[in-house]
Amino acid sequence: MVLVEGREFCWREGLTVADLLEELGDPYPYAVVRINDTVISGPDFATAAVPRGSEVFLIPLIAGG
Amino acid sequence: MTDLKVKEIARLAYARPAIKRGYANQTLYVNLSDSKISIKPVSEKMKETFVGGKGFDLWLLWNAVNKDTKWNSPENALCIACGPLGGTTIYPGSGKSIVTSISPTTGSVMDSNVGGFFGPYLKFSGFDAFEVQGKTGAPTVIFIDGINQQVQILEVTGLPQGAHEVTEVLTNHFGQGKPRNISVVSTGPGAKHSLIGLLNFSWYDPKRSRPRLKQAGRGGLGTVFADKGLKAIVARWESVTLALNDPADEEALKKVAKLHSQEILEQDPKQNQMSMVGTAHLVTIMNDYDLLPTHNFRYGQHPQAPEVGMEVYRPLFDKGFDGCWMGCSLACSHGVKDFAPTTGPHAGRKVFVDGPEYETIAGCGSNHGIFDPLHIIEMNFYCDNYGVDSISVGTSIAFAMECFEMGLINKTHTGGMDLSFGNKASALEILHQMARGEGFGKVVGQGVRKMKEIFSKEYGADRAVMEDIGMEAKGLEFSEYMPKESLAQQGGYGLALKGPQHDEAWLIFLDMVHNFLPTFEQKAEALHWFPLWRTWFGLCGLCKLPWNDVVPADNKQTKEPAKVIQHVDWYTQYFNAVTGKSLTPVDLIFMSEKVYNFQRLLCLKLGFGRREHDAIPYRAMGPVTVEEYESRADRYDKQLKEVHAVDIGGMGTAEKVKTLRKLREQKYEQLKDAVYERRGWSKDGIPTLDTVRRLGIDLPEVLDVLKAHGVA
Repeated sequence: MVLVEGREFCWREGLTVADLLEELGDPYPYAVVRINDTVISGPDFATAAVPRGSEVFLIPLIAGG
Repeated sequence: MTDLKVKEIARLAYARPAIKRGYANQTLYVNLSDSKISIKPVSEKMKETFVGGKGFDLWLLWNAVNKDTKWNSPENALCIACGPLGGTTIYPGSGKSIVTSISPTTGSVMDSNVGGFFGPYLKFSGFDAFEVQGKTGAPTVIFIDGINQQVQILEVTGLPQGAHEVTEVLTNHFGQGKPRNISVVSTGPGAKHSLIGLLNFSWYDPKRSRPRLKQAGRGGLGTVFADKGLKAIVARWESVTLALNDPADEEALKKVAKLHSQEILEQDPKQNQMSMVGTAHLVTIMNDYDLLPTHNFRYGQHPQAPEVGMEVYRPLFDKGFDGCWMGCSLACSHGVKDFAPTTGPHAGRKVFVDGPEYETIAGCGSNHGIFDPLHIIEMNFYCDNYGVDSISVGTSIAFAMECFEMGLINKTHTGGMDLSFGNKASALEILHQMARGEGFGKVVGQGVRKMKEIFSKEYGADRAVMEDIGMEAKGLEFSEYMPKESLAQQGGYGLALKGPQHDEAWLIFLDMVHNFLPTFEQKAEALHWFPLWRTWFGLCGLCKLPWNDVVPADNKQTKEPAKVIQHVDWYTQYFNAVTGKSLTPVDLIFMSEKVYNFQRLLCLKLGFGRREHDAIPYRAMGPVTVEEYESRADRYDKQLKEVHAVDIGGMGTAEKVKTLRKLREQKYEQLKDAVYERRGWSKDGIPTLDTVRRLGIDLPEVLDVLKAHGVA
């Protein structure tokens, strides 16, 4: 399992951030997610693996400094 | 122990007024040339038109200067104001001060917002704004003592040089055992010897038993301060309560403040973690999207960027509450304790460093081709201690480094220093020289615009190349976001009133990443609404970070998530609860529009504020060199072919660079047209008569300025 925004999500071997977002069916165009304390940006969604047991946060907005 | 000698030059005793609905209803005036201290009333008309904060500053500045006033003219005023909401203890981000003056680097109006206790303490001492004119040859401290109801001009000898030491000494001296009652505004030796001096505003950190510093960095306001002969301005106030600001509806205020504070406590740990890492979270994100300036904005990405990212700084930041004003639940002013600089006057001593934030990491790190987190912390410390702006220092050194690598300058000019990108020792040495007013560091401290002049006139460097790669506009150095691939952000920088600082509009993600602004009209609308909304924070004494760096969990389901409409509604409730008015969000934008246009007209009064002044260097728009183009050839080739229908078959890279440049420069001019039209300005970028009448800023002196510039 992984925890996504506080809700349990079924983990599988090879699960990427892109897979996760697609399977969540959330149409919002996320640019960044955080896995535990590590930030993953859009260009890396397709290759970034989601580790088993991790907590995933979908960052809703990047607003600059 | 510092042995201070304090001599009173002038004193004004006054009866402190009670705050009414967020206003003290008077401002404080000091003239250093004739040691005059006086109090000016705030009229209802002034509040109606200018609101407070930056609006009050601009009105005071307008009346202080004439069309020929320069930054170092005695009549140039340095103004500091809070705002009607400033000093509220329960609403996050409610302790900001806004500083304005004529800038040494732009010659025009500068504004810079800053945290710390000064603005609220100034207001609770009885003044909505502070204005200082004139100059003195004596080391001067202005002491605003709200407790004893007196203002003093003091000649103080025996003060140390560095900002941290000045702040600590004056906090102890005036605090009388209660250091939390004191806020100090000061600069440092670099401000006197450069044009990019900053102002440090202090807040007392009781947990760490030390004053901490926040910076009004942009545009050389510290240089104006030092030129006037000021060593410090000190405000003294005692305990702060919610009732002190006299909110019209305390219960409504408590209710909305609780909503926003609670949301931050719940959502920030899930979102950007500002309360844990501040703006450092942006480093790797910007890098991933090719937006992190490296090597003087040549590129937006570098494989070593994670070495100076959030995960590196997180363990370096000292744990504890880091709110620069009381009660802020965002509390993002992180710092590093027991840091030992390796160079300069503090080498080997343990110091506390306030920061670094994203801008300093990018400006004094990646933009120099340096990815050493400890080097960046040392640059951060000395920029603050010397009183120079880490953004302008960063962008100016980056420019000098590129000029060195291009052979436009050499070791003859740099005093033997190797200024290649990545040279940490040289970057630090420039900073130390800047503070001492010596060597090549003094030249770099003049900023990018002046360096271009010096390099071409005195060193024979190619001016045209430097105009392309020198990252300044209006005379202000760019802050640290790569705008090449976002036309809207090019406008966000180029059309900002004071120069290229991102606090008016940060549209890169909306425009480039999400492509939510595909048309000129959409870009123009964004360059209308966002600068006006962001201006509003500066009118009220607020920080913008709680608005959009943490958002409601359901914000993504709203029509325009980037506006964070729930928060706009809360801020409207907040304003109404304090002032007793019954305004709507649209009314808040109208309030800002008045002040925004008035600032553009003040620029015009000073000989700026026209279309020609909204130009940006080509480095901000696209690839200047063949090397830059070829590093992202797929992207640029695709644009030429698919967006512009250019047949690039048989074209060499140099020709492609030239072709792309022509197209991008045309687009920027088209953007100007669209934005000016949306803002109600002429093709020359001047607010029209209809606009100033609609906004109710058709004051006789405004109409005179318009008439003098052919608008009648």
